[in-house]
This record gives sequence, structure tokens and C-alpha cells, in this order.
Amino acid sequence: MASARSWQAEQRRSFLLGLVPALAVLTLVTIGPVLYLTISSLTPLNPTVPGSGWDFSAPWRNYATALGEERFLLSLWVQVKLSAVTVVGQIAIGLGLALLLDTNSRFMEAIRTGFLLPMVLPPIVVAVVWKIIFTPDISPMHRLLEWAGMPIHSLLSNGDTALWAVVVADTWEWFPFTMLMMLAALQMVPKEPLEAAAIDGANRRQTFWYVRLPYIQQTLAVTALFRLIDSIKAFPLIYVLTDGGPGRATEVTNYYAFVQTFNFSYWGYGSAVATLLIAGVLLLSWIILRFGGRGMAGADHA
Amino acid sequence: MAAKLNRRLMLAGSAGGLLTLPGKAPAQGGRKRLDGVTLNVSCWNYTYPKLLTEYIPEFEAATGAKVNYETPSFPIYNQRMDVELSTGSSAYDVVNVTFIYSGRWVGSGWVTPLEDFINDPTKTPAGWDASDFLSGATAAFKNKKGQLCAIPWIADVFMAGASRYDLIQKEGLTMPNTFAEVETMAKAIHKKGGIPAMVSENHYGWTYIPWLQGMGGNVFKAPPDDLTPTLDSPEAIAAADLFGKLIREYGPDGAVSMTYEQVLAMLKQARVNYSPNNQTFLAQMAQKEAKSAATCGFSMCPAGPAGRFPGVAAHGWGIPTGSKQKDAAWEFITWAMSKELSMRMFTEKKYTAVTRRSIIESPSFKDSQNLNGFDVAKIYLDSIEQAGRGYMAYRTVPVFPQIDREIDTAIQSIITQQKTAAEAMKTAQQNALTEIKRAGVKL
Repeated sequence: MASARSWQAEQRRSFLLGLVPALAVLTLVTIGPVLYLTISSLTPLNPTVPGSGWDFSAPWRNYATALGEERFLLSLWVQVKLSAVTVVGQIAIGLGLALLLDTNSRFMEAIRTGFLLPMVLPPIVVAVVWKIIFTPDISPMHRLLEWAGMPIHSLLSNGDTALWAVVVADTWEWFPFTMLMMLAALQMVPKEPLEAAAIDGANRRQTFWYVRLPYIQQTLAVTALFRLIDSIKAFPLIYVLTDGGPGRATEVTNYYAFVQTFNFSYWGYGSAVATLLIAGVLLLSWIILRFGGRGMAGADHA
Repeated sequence: MAAKLNRRLMLAGSAGGLLTLPGKAPAQGGRKRLDGVTLNVSCWNYTYPKLLTEYIPEFEAATGAKVNYETPSFPIYNQRMDVELSTGSSAYDVVNVTFIYSGRWVGSGWVTPLEDFINDPTKTPAGWDASDFLSGATAAFKNKKGQLCAIPWIADVFMAGASRYDLIQKEGLTMPNTFAEVETMAKAIHKKGGIPAMVSENHYGWTYIPWLQGMGGNVFKAPPDDLTPTLDSPEAIAAADLFGKLIREYGPDGAVSMTYEQVLAMLKQARVNYSPNNQTFLAQMAQKEAKSAATCGFSMCPAGPAGRFPGVAAHGWGIPTGSKQKDAAWEFITWAMSKELSMRMFTEKKYTAVTRRSIIESPSFKDSQNLNGFDVAKIYLDSIEQAGRGYMAYRTVPVFPQIDREIDTAIQSIITQQKTAAEAMKTAQQNALTEIKRAGVKL
């Protein structure tokens, strides 16, 4: 008995030792920078002010400033709108296309490959492409609409439409990712329940809702999570298309943090905003994974 | 005459000037003075720094130095240099002292005063003549002791240009001289010839200020001593209202977000008529390949009820205090800003934003700046003279980059009618106060 315990202890010890290199890399690459960011957020760090990186006299000042600043709160609201609409849009389009393309033929494979194009383009190229599309002076879209007798004003120069123009560009760029994920999940759905549903006389809608959807639910949740996190990082599009404007119409939180940090040198304050953003993302991730996972567990037992 | 100058003679002159400095004769045995020296030089990406790239091999050949030269974009450059200079880094030997950062960089003592170099005949070629640089351009680079800390390579002035002056004339008008005349003109020519009346680039922290000051307002109460922002003054609101209205009602679709490249392209293609803008951009309307070449017109920037306030922005070469090769760095600056090279850049590359009075007043320069019958050299010099009144002091205070951004946002909100001028400027004022306090400025 004693020797069995000792063997188990030895096994546990070896297991932990084996984990050390991975943990070390993880600490160095992920936890270290986040820790530094968090520590910096407790200081008024400004590279132009010597010693500000070690000033911990008012550690919560940056957080209090951020939470009391209208511009930060507005940026959060803009972020919520951008993230919610792009994630829902990308999931809806991706899932819809995946359902259409979920057959095995060479023609469909070619179409699938074509749809991947926006995703593999460098983000800055995507931004430039949409800048051209949205600039009335040189835009083929504007010329086409004008030719069709439906001229529209510049979308990026209007406070009411600028954010939605960015949403369109972001959705275009990333729907292939959700499509790919959904397609992979749909192709993993076993044939038996689909055949059983067909025998039972289920129509396409019922088959999707009661058979396919429960199987792909967790993939759906993970995809939404990936896109949500990425939507919070939607920097190049905003940088090139609107620079956060007009006014503050498209200034999302990470762009606000960028301006504070790199334009104004408020590194401590920018770190606090980034830390708040990370905390928000972690909370949202937990919620999505928790409910996504629960749904999948339900599907397994069905 | 200058146009006829022999290139080889010039080359010999500019390189020779370096090699004949007292105490700086070429080393014996084929070795050159700066053999083994590597200079790290950085400037933001603009016309002059790009042109300079083509001449640097001549400096390297003449001196033996190796020059690592980089020209990142404007925001990247400023961000990087702010950190390098503030930490006393020795990574760079010659840097651009950016106009809006000059208060911080020069005021903090992060760049080296150049008087000792200028006054030392063993370090500065005879006839190099530091007093030849326009006083309006050097003003921003002087520290509290009055020592010059950078040599200006550009002095760009805010003036006005029209790509289709013929359309303005057709309405019985001339280039507008006042804000009221701009409004009258805009109303009269809008959509005439199928083009909108006017446009401004989207850097409103620059293009709105002459309107603000012309109305009698300012960015701060009394810069650089009292930095209480005054963006919600009646004058500031009136100026923002007028400026926003002009761009909104008489500008092209999407005008609010047009960068200077877009504005320049539209002007050169005569797809928009009038624009108060920088001399370096507007002068390009007269280039042979531009559609506006035969129809363009120029004037000083319009005056408001309180007078005329043409913006002047200068950038200059400086030496970081952390540099360990200051003598070699100065040698690079004296070469880059020598009369010979400045003249060559004008004659060979048509670079006209020069900072040496002797070149601006030379007949060849004056001839070249007679654009479509308008004496742009005179507009340029008169504008720089105006800046001698000191109204540009708002722009070189360390906290200005933050306020610059607030002005951009406010004007955008007004043009797009997200806010009224009063609302937008009051918000800008509140935000400016927050930014100024965060920067540690005591009001």
C-alpha cells in the first residue's frame, strides 16, 4: 500500500516536472507581459517622466480616472455595438454558407476556397480595400449606386453610419473563419441521426434545429468566443478607415487605449484601460464557454 | 542662374565644403575623416527626408561615414523619438525635432544646443551662415537661453489656393482675402464647373487654427505661460461654426475625413476648387502634369475680424544629448543644410519649402515660384514674417498633441452635425482640461 502511494507520488512528481518547461514558456510569453501590464496600470508610467514607472503612491488612480471618464465609457459602448453586430453577423453568414456548402463536390470545394480569400488577406490590405470602396471619390460602389440612380453619401463621414461601415468590412473579413469552423462541425455530424430524422419525415428546418444544431452547438460557442475576442482587437480597420471618427463615432476601447498610450505617452493609464479590457474579455469568455458547454452536455445526453 | 549651375561643381562645392574645414582635412594615406563612424539618422517620412536619401551616398563618399537612415511615418517617428530622447538614449545621432514636440524636446534639454558648433570655425565651414535661416523657422527650436537646438529643414506655411481660379474670376471675384469673402466665394462657385467649392484636410488641429485666431480666439489663454484652454470661448465657437459650415455645405462628399493626400490629389485634378492649406501642397497645383496647372490661383490665408494668422510649421535637424558622436552628427547637419545642397534640392528636385533666405530671395527661386502669375515666394515670405508675432506659441507647448486631437474630434463632430459648434467646443474644452491636468500641467 505504502509502495503504491509512493509510486503515485513519484508519478505525480514526474508529471509536474514534465510540465515545467511548458509552464515556463507560458509564464514568459503570456503571464509575464500581462503581469507587467497590470503592474504598470498601477503607476502613472509615462516614458517622458523619469521615475513614473515606480510611483505606486496612488495605485487605483488610473482605474478611477478611466471609470469616471465619459470618453472611455463611450468607447466601451462603441465596442459593445461593434462586437455584438460583427459576431452575430459573422456567425449567421458563416453558418448559412456552411449549410449551403456542406456537400462534397469539386465545384463546392472551389467555391469554399474562393470564400476564404478575405480571411487570408493581411488586415491592412482589407482596410485599404474597404477604404477605396467607402471613399465616394474613387469608389466603384458609389459609382455603381449613382449609375443605378441610388446615390448615397460617404458612409465613413457620417456619424450615424461610420460604425456600420466598419462592421460591414469586419464581417466581410472574418465570415470565412466562422464558415470554415461551421463547415468542419457540420461534416462531423454522424449520418445515423440525420438518416433517422429523414425516415421520421423531418423537414430541413427541423433536421437543422433538432439534429445538427445540438451537435455543432459547442463549436458555435467556441467560434463566437474566438470572434468576440478578435472583434475587440479590430484595430487596422479603424486605424485606416476612420481613425476613431468622425468625432468619436468609431473609437472602440482598444483604439482609445492606443491613442492614450502611443499618441499621448500615458502608458500607465493605457495599461489600466487594457487591463480592464482583458478582465472584460475573460468574463465574457467564461460566460460563453459555460453556457456553450452546458448546451453541448445536454446534446450528449439527448 | 542657379538653374545653370553645374551639377559637378555643386557636388564638389558641397562635399568640398566639408573636406576643407580647418582641422578637418582628409586623413593621410587615403583614409577619410569619418572612416569607421556609423551615424544613425532618423526623420519622419516627408518630401525632403525622402529626397535626402538620394544625396546621402555623396556624404558617405566624401567623409567615409556610414549613415543608417530611416524615415518612419509621422506618428511612429514621434512616438519612438519621444521615448528615445526622454531616456537619454544614444541610439540616434541626428534626429528630426518635430514642430509640435519642440517645446517638450527642446524645453526638457533632450537635444543639444548648437551654438558651440555653429560658432566653432573648426566645426562649421566658413560661409555656412546660420543667420541665413528664416527667423520664423528657427524660433521654435530655441531654448529658454535663446540657444538654437535644431536647424530647420522645412518651414511650411498655411496659405490658400484655388485649382480653378478661372471659375472664381467668372463670378467677378478674386482670391478671397477675408473669412466673409471666403463664404461669399464658396456660395458663388459651389458646383460651378461641376466641382465643389472648397475642402480642407482632416488635420483640424492645424487647419482650423487660422480661423480660430482670425476670429480673435486661441487654443490656450496665454501660451506658453498660461495653458488654460480656451476652446469654448465665443470666438472659438464662432470660428468652429463658420469653418464647419463651409466644409459641410461647400465641400465634396466625405470631406470631413479627407487626408492631405486626398485633398492634394483632388486639387491637382481640379476636382475641388478652393483650399486653405500648406504651401508645399498647394504649389503642386502648378506642376505641369496637374490639370490645375493653367487655372490655379494663390493667396495668403484669409484674415478674420482679428487679423491674419497663417500657420507656420518648422521641422529641424537636431542632435540628441545622448549621442556619443556629436561632432560627426553636426558634420552631417552642416552638409544636409548647406547652401549648396539646399540649392541643389531646389534646382534638381524642385523642392521649394527651403529655409534659407538667400535661396528664397534668389532670382531663380523667385522665378520658379511665380506660379500662373501669382508670386508665391512673396506669399511664403510674408506668411513667415507674420509668424514672427509669436502666435504659433500654442503649438510648441508639450501638451499640444493631446489638444490637437481634441480639436480634430470637435471639428469632425461639427462638420458631421453630431454636435452643434457650442456643444462640440464645450466638450473639447472639458476634455482639454482633463488632458492638461493628466499631463501634470498646473493651471
